[in-house]
Amino acid sequence: MSIALFVARRLGRGVVTILFAVTVTFLLLRLLPGDPALAVASPNTTDEAREALLVQYGLDRPLIVQYVLYLGQLLQGDLGTSFTQSVPVVDVLLERLPWTLLLTVTALVLTVLIGIPLGVLAASREHTFLDRAVQVVGVTGQSLFVPSIGILLLLVFGLGLGWFPIGGAAGDNVYGAAWYGSVVAHLVLPAVSLTLIQLGSYVLTMRGTLIDALGADHVTLARANGLPYRRILWKHALRNALLPATTLIGLQLGFVVGGAVLTETVFAYPGIGRGIYEAVTQLDFPVLQGAFLLLAVTVVVVNMLTDIAYGFLDPRVKAS
Amino acid sequence: MTTPLPTTELAHDAEEPVRDARGARPGRATWRAFRKLPLGVASLVVLALLVLVTVAAPLLAPYPASFGPDVLLPPGAGHPFGTDSLGRDVLSQVVWGTQQSVLVAVAASAIAIVVGTLVAVVGAYVPRIDAVVSMVVDLTLSLPVLPLMILVAALAGPSTSTVILVVAAFSWPEVTRLVRSQALTVVKLPYVDAARLMTRRHAWIIGRHVVPAVTPVIVVSVVVTASRAVLSAAGLAFLGLGDPTTWSWGRILYEAQTSGAMGSAWWLTLFPSLAILLLVLSATLVSISYDDARKPRGAGR
Repeated sequence: MSIALFVARRLGRGVVTILFAVTVTFLLLRLLPGDPALAVASPNTTDEAREALLVQYGLDRPLIVQYVLYLGQLLQGDLGTSFTQSVPVVDVLLERLPWTLLLTVTALVLTVLIGIPLGVLAASREHTFLDRAVQVVGVTGQSLFVPSIGILLLLVFGLGLGWFPIGGAAGDNVYGAAWYGSVVAHLVLPAVSLTLIQLGSYVLTMRGTLIDALGADHVTLARANGLPYRRILWKHALRNALLPATTLIGLQLGFVVGGAVLTETVFAYPGIGRGIYEAVTQLDFPVLQGAFLLLAVTVVVVNMLTDIAYGFLDPRVKAS
Repeated sequence: MTTPLPTTELAHDAEEPVRDARGARPGRATWRAFRKLPLGVASLVVLALLVLVTVAAPLLAPYPASFGPDVLLPPGAGHPFGTDSLGRDVLSQVVWGTQQSVLVAVAASAIAIVVGTLVAVVGAYVPRIDAVVSMVVDLTLSLPVLPLMILVAALAGPSTSTVILVVAAFSWPEVTRLVRSQALTVVKLPYVDAARLMTRRHAWIIGRHVVPAVTPVIVVSVVVTASRAVLSAAGLAFLGLGDPTTWSWGRILYEAQTSGAMGSAWWLTLFPSLAILLLVLSATLVSISYDDARKPRGAGR
């Protein structure tokens, strides 16, 4: 398979996934009892007024026509209007998206930076106490409830020790270089919580694939040739083990985004997740569906880019 | 939990190599190996205790009152887990929350397991269905599931049955993914071909020969799905989408957060958090130990 065909296939799959997300959202909105006209109207609205609302929202037309209209709206970047703020949902969300991206990307980078050395440490000392300890930490990490770990960090390092601010993304009335410092200080606790919850599975996967790689024929040959163990570990085995670990990052992205929603809620971090929490309390359905669609598109696009990067990194893709 | 293994001649032959030296059924052998793993046994005991709390909740603590005289008391003699900002006993909330959380986890994972297994096994058996199944599973698993669950739960209105159905609806693809990969290798085995020669009743072949062969994977995914379900349900409740009339671990955290007492009263968040960790961690350890126990002796770690 040529690399061009490979890229084209991944792009196609991305488009299909997004279309799937859109269709699911559309069907949910139309089939579940959260009737949009009922949601905007107060209980004492007359039947005629409800009819008028249905016509205004196009809800009196056949389902398939509504679907096509819905797709058309989305293509124009129209996600509807927020019930509570009376501004376009797109504006509300795009203002919040950078914070969510900053948080998740920081957490992903931290996961990789901590996860690779820990995985190498465990795999190279298989069956030792150190390996056992890393495994225990990994399994415990997988079992953490995001808000629990967030609240713990908040109580200890925010309120108890006072090392970090406890909410928001930047201090008020801070400008210039101090603003960046403030952003970093506000980012530490949410990013660490999000890192802790995904580190476990990353380390365990890293350990597993590296142990497999260390048993491969080319590693045995390198050992037989008398190469230093350190070099075999880091150059010959790790390179092969890194590829599955990269895929895992892409696969877990949907899960990480879910974690970000909960983390942002705990730390009042002004990203999309906190927006979702606020929209839930106000039953602001347009914001909820817009947030899901935007997060879905983000996840699919990032996933696609990881896959394509994988294709360029892994010579087997070009060869097959 | 262990489905009886097939006793027909054909399946008998297929199972033969798995038997251990004493000639016991594989399930027995696995249990004997499992008993020797201290972490696995301890986790199983913890799970049993949590189930006991679920059943015996009315005996352990009175149902949380709607308010009480002593507000935000730290853990002490009268209230071992302290009280919240309305003077309610946190121990009662955690005990009754155990009931709700375990109920949701069991119900949601039961639905997800049945649907997920059925879809996986039928898909593996009928290639035409499998193409659709694997596409739907791939697509669903690549979406951010929690925001989707939030949207559905908000549209349907928060209640216990909503939470169960929403969690189940987005958990079955993971089960299908796990079971399908195993089922695909099983349907290619000669004894399934032999069964096809004997009968044209496909449902019988699937139920008698394919499902028993994938049972170990199902057992593992029961545990994994149930612990994921606990986390998802707690996440929904933490965002205010749990059943507002029943106590759950997520709701205790949600109320601590919304009442603003989270910062001053550590006991409000510590005890439900520990409960969640205990349940999910022991479930995970049980599934890991079960996997270890199934490995042939000598290959184990």
